[in-house]
Amino acid sequence: MTAFEETLARMTTPEVPQLKHQALLADAISRGKSKSALSFWWMSIPLYVIAMLFMKSAYVRDSTLRSNLHEFFTRERYVAPLLFVVAPVILILINAASIRRIHFLSGSPGPATLLRIAWSNVAVIIVSATILIIYFL
Amino acid sequence: MNLRWFRRSGIVFVPTSIPGWLILAAGVAFCIYAFIDADSRSHSVSDTLMNFVFELLIAGAAYSLVAYLTGGSGRGRRETDGR
Repeated sequence: MTAFEETLARMTTPEVPQLKHQALLADAISRGKSKSALSFWWMSIPLYVIAMLFMKSAYVRDSTLRSNLHEFFTRERYVAPLLFVVAPVILILINAASIRRIHFLSGSPGPATLLRIAWSNVAVIIVSATILIIYFL
Repeated sequence: MNLRWFRRSGIVFVPTSIPGWLILAAGVAFCIYAFIDADSRSHSVSDTLMNFVFELLIAGAAYSLVAYLTGGSGRGRRETDGR
Protein backbone atom coordinates (compact mmCIF):
# COMPACT_ATOMS: atom_id res chain seq x y z
CA MET A 1 0.00 0.00 0.00
CA THR A 2 2.83 2.39 0.93
CA ALA A 3 4.67 1.51 -2.27
CA PHE A 4 1.51 2.18 -4.25
CA GLU A 5 1.09 5.60 -2.59
CA GLU A 6 4.72 6.42 -3.29
CA THR A 7 4.31 5.42 -6.94
CA LEU A 8 1.13 7.46 -7.17
CA ALA A 9 2.84 10.50 -5.63
CA ARG A 10 5.73 10.12 -8.07
CA MET A 11 3.30 9.77 -10.98
CA THR A 12 1.31 12.83 -10.06
CA THR A 13 4.37 15.03 -9.58
CA PRO A 14 4.82 16.97 -12.82
CA GLU A 15 8.23 16.40 -14.36
CA VAL A 16 9.52 19.09 -16.62
CA PRO A 17 13.23 18.47 -17.06
CA GLN A 18 13.57 21.24 -19.65
CA LEU A 19 11.30 24.23 -19.91
CA LYS A 20 9.73 24.94 -23.27
CA HIS A 21 11.08 28.48 -23.43
CA GLN A 22 14.62 27.17 -22.72
CA ALA A 23 14.41 24.95 -25.81
CA LEU A 24 13.04 27.89 -27.80
CA LEU A 25 15.85 30.12 -26.53
CA ALA A 26 18.52 27.52 -27.43
CA ASP A 27 16.96 27.21 -30.89
CA ALA A 28 16.87 31.01 -31.32
CA ILE A 29 20.55 31.32 -30.27
CA SER A 30 21.53 28.52 -32.66
CA ARG A 31 19.65 30.17 -35.53
CA GLY A 32 21.14 33.54 -34.62
CA LYS A 33 24.66 32.08 -34.82
CA SER A 34 23.85 30.48 -38.19
CA LYS A 35 22.59 33.85 -39.42
CA SER A 36 25.75 35.58 -38.25
CA ALA A 37 27.89 32.89 -39.97
CA LEU A 38 25.96 33.48 -43.19
CA SER A 39 26.29 37.25 -42.69
CA PHE A 40 30.05 36.90 -42.24
CA TRP A 41 30.41 35.45 -45.74
CA TRP A 42 28.33 38.22 -47.34
CA MET A 43 30.18 40.92 -45.37
CA SER A 44 33.54 39.53 -46.38
CA ILE A 45 33.03 40.63 -50.02
CA PRO A 46 32.74 44.42 -49.39
CA LEU A 47 35.41 44.14 -46.67
CA TYR A 48 37.74 42.50 -49.19
CA VAL A 49 37.05 45.27 -51.71
CA ILE A 50 37.83 47.90 -49.05
CA ALA A 51 41.04 46.08 -48.06
CA MET A 52 42.08 45.79 -51.72
CA LEU A 53 41.47 49.51 -52.34
CA PHE A 54 43.28 50.37 -49.12
CA MET A 55 46.34 48.45 -50.35
CA LYS A 56 46.04 50.20 -53.70
CA SER A 57 45.98 53.59 -52.00
CA ALA A 58 49.04 52.61 -49.96
CA TYR A 59 51.07 51.49 -52.98
CA VAL A 60 49.88 53.81 -55.76
CA ARG A 61 51.17 57.33 -55.51
CA ASP A 62 48.72 60.28 -55.34
CA SER A 63 45.72 58.08 -54.58
CA THR A 64 43.67 57.88 -51.41
CA LEU A 65 41.26 55.28 -50.13
CA ARG A 66 38.40 57.72 -50.61
CA SER A 67 39.27 58.47 -54.23
CA ASN A 68 39.72 54.76 -54.97
CA LEU A 69 36.36 53.96 -53.36
CA HIS A 70 34.65 56.70 -55.40
CA GLU A 71 36.27 55.37 -58.56
CA PHE A 72 35.07 51.84 -57.72
CA PHE A 73 31.50 53.03 -56.97
CA THR A 74 31.40 54.96 -60.27
CA ARG A 75 32.82 52.10 -62.31
CA GLU A 76 30.64 49.36 -60.73
CA ARG A 77 27.32 51.18 -60.92
CA TYR A 78 25.15 48.13 -60.13
CA VAL A 79 27.43 45.82 -58.13
CA ALA A 80 28.64 48.48 -55.68
CA PRO A 81 25.18 49.45 -54.29
CA LEU A 82 24.32 45.75 -54.06
CA LEU A 83 27.42 44.93 -52.01
CA PHE A 84 27.68 48.17 -50.02
CA VAL A 85 24.01 49.10 -49.43
CA VAL A 86 21.54 46.26 -50.11
CA ALA A 87 23.54 43.45 -48.48
CA PRO A 88 24.44 45.40 -45.27
CA VAL A 89 20.84 46.65 -44.86
CA ILE A 90 19.48 43.09 -45.21
CA LEU A 91 22.10 41.78 -42.77
CA ILE A 92 21.26 44.52 -40.24
CA LEU A 93 17.53 43.72 -40.45
CA ILE A 94 18.02 39.94 -40.19
CA ASN A 95 20.40 40.17 -37.24
CA ALA A 96 18.31 42.82 -35.46
CA ALA A 97 15.28 40.50 -35.72
CA SER A 98 17.40 37.68 -34.34
CA ILE A 99 18.57 39.81 -31.38
CA ARG A 100 14.98 40.91 -30.73
CA ARG A 101 13.83 37.29 -30.60
CA ILE A 102 16.69 36.27 -28.27
CA HIS A 103 15.96 39.30 -26.06
CA PHE A 104 12.28 38.34 -25.82
CA LEU A 105 12.90 34.63 -25.13
CA SER A 106 15.61 35.21 -22.53
CA GLY A 107 13.26 37.38 -20.45
CA SER A 108 14.43 40.87 -21.44
CA PRO A 109 17.93 40.78 -19.87
CA GLY A 110 20.25 43.77 -19.48
CA PRO A 111 22.53 44.98 -22.28
CA ALA A 112 25.61 43.15 -20.89
CA THR A 113 23.85 39.77 -20.73
CA LEU A 114 22.27 40.25 -24.14
CA LEU A 115 25.66 41.21 -25.59
CA ARG A 116 27.18 38.03 -24.11
CA ILE A 117 24.44 35.86 -25.64
CA ALA A 118 24.19 37.52 -29.06
CA TRP A 119 27.63 39.10 -29.50
CA SER A 120 28.09 37.72 -33.02
CA ASN A 121 24.84 39.31 -34.22
CA VAL A 122 25.83 42.63 -32.63
CA ALA A 123 29.25 42.44 -34.32
CA VAL A 124 27.59 41.83 -37.70
CA ILE A 125 25.34 44.87 -37.21
CA ILE A 126 28.31 47.08 -36.28
CA VAL A 127 30.40 45.97 -39.29
CA SER A 128 27.41 46.31 -41.66
CA ALA A 129 26.73 49.82 -40.36
CA THR A 130 30.41 50.67 -40.91
CA ILE A 131 30.20 49.46 -44.53
CA LEU A 132 27.09 51.63 -45.06
CA ILE A 133 28.84 54.66 -43.58
CA ILE A 134 31.87 54.08 -45.84
CA TYR A 135 29.58 53.97 -48.89
CA PHE A 136 27.77 57.20 -48.04
CA LEU A 137 30.87 59.16 -46.92
CA MET B 1 9.96 20.53 -45.47
CA ASN B 2 12.91 20.15 -43.11
CA LEU B 3 16.13 19.55 -45.02
CA ARG B 4 19.26 18.48 -43.14
CA TRP B 5 21.88 18.70 -45.88
CA PHE B 6 24.33 20.76 -43.82
CA ARG B 7 25.29 21.52 -40.24
CA ARG B 8 27.07 24.62 -39.05
CA SER B 9 30.49 24.38 -37.44
CA GLY B 10 31.72 27.85 -36.50
CA ILE B 11 31.42 29.94 -39.64
CA VAL B 12 31.60 26.95 -41.97
CA PHE B 13 28.68 24.84 -43.16
CA VAL B 14 29.66 21.17 -43.29
CA PRO B 15 27.71 18.78 -45.57
CA THR B 16 25.93 15.93 -43.81
CA SER B 17 24.25 14.29 -46.78
CA ILE B 18 24.97 13.30 -50.39
CA PRO B 19 23.25 16.39 -51.91
CA GLY B 20 25.29 18.55 -49.52
CA TRP B 21 28.55 16.92 -50.63
CA LEU B 22 27.53 17.36 -54.27
CA ILE B 23 26.94 21.09 -53.69
CA LEU B 24 30.33 21.37 -51.98
CA ALA B 25 31.99 19.50 -54.89
CA ALA B 26 30.34 21.89 -57.37
CA GLY B 27 31.63 24.83 -55.33
CA VAL B 28 35.18 23.42 -55.26
CA ALA B 29 35.01 22.74 -59.03
CA PHE B 30 33.93 26.36 -59.61
CA CYS B 31 36.82 27.61 -57.47
CA ILE B 32 39.35 25.52 -59.45
CA TYR B 33 37.90 26.85 -62.71
CA ALA B 34 37.97 30.43 -61.32
CA PHE B 35 41.63 30.02 -60.35
CA ILE B 36 42.64 28.69 -63.78
CA ASP B 37 40.63 31.44 -65.48
CA ALA B 38 42.11 34.20 -63.28
CA ASP B 39 45.60 32.80 -63.76
CA SER B 40 45.27 32.77 -67.57
CA ARG B 41 44.25 36.46 -67.62
CA SER B 42 46.64 37.83 -65.00
CA HIS B 43 50.10 39.32 -65.33
CA SER B 44 51.51 38.47 -61.90
CA VAL B 45 50.98 36.23 -58.87
CA SER B 46 49.35 39.03 -56.87
CA ASP B 47 47.02 39.78 -59.79
CA THR B 48 45.95 36.11 -59.85
CA LEU B 49 45.39 36.00 -56.11
CA MET B 50 43.45 39.28 -55.99
CA ASN B 51 41.01 38.17 -58.67
CA PHE B 52 40.79 34.61 -57.37
CA VAL B 53 40.08 35.59 -53.75
CA PHE B 54 37.24 37.85 -54.90
CA GLU B 55 35.59 34.97 -56.79
CA LEU B 56 36.34 32.61 -53.88
CA LEU B 57 34.46 34.90 -51.49
CA ILE B 58 31.49 35.16 -53.86
CA ALA B 59 31.42 31.35 -54.17
CA GLY B 60 31.69 31.03 -50.38
CA ALA B 61 28.81 33.46 -49.85
CA ALA B 62 26.60 31.64 -52.37
CA TYR B 63 27.51 28.25 -50.86
CA SER B 64 26.75 29.46 -47.32
CA LEU B 65 23.39 30.85 -48.46
CA VAL B 66 22.45 27.51 -50.07
CA ALA B 67 23.70 25.63 -46.98
CA TYR B 68 21.76 27.93 -44.65
CA LEU B 69 18.53 27.47 -46.61
CA THR B 70 18.91 23.69 -46.87
CA GLY B 71 19.41 22.83 -43.24
CA GLY B 72 22.27 24.88 -41.84
CA SER B 73 19.93 27.21 -40.00
CA GLY B 74 19.08 24.54 -37.41
CA ARG B 75 15.41 24.71 -38.35
CA GLY B 76 13.45 21.57 -37.48
CA ARG B 77 16.26 20.15 -35.37
CA ARG B 78 13.98 19.56 -32.40
CA GLU B 79 11.54 17.47 -34.39
CA THR B 80 14.25 15.22 -35.75
CA ASP B 81 16.01 14.92 -32.39
CA GLY B 82 12.84 13.33 -31.02
CA ARG B 83 12.46 15.72 -28.10
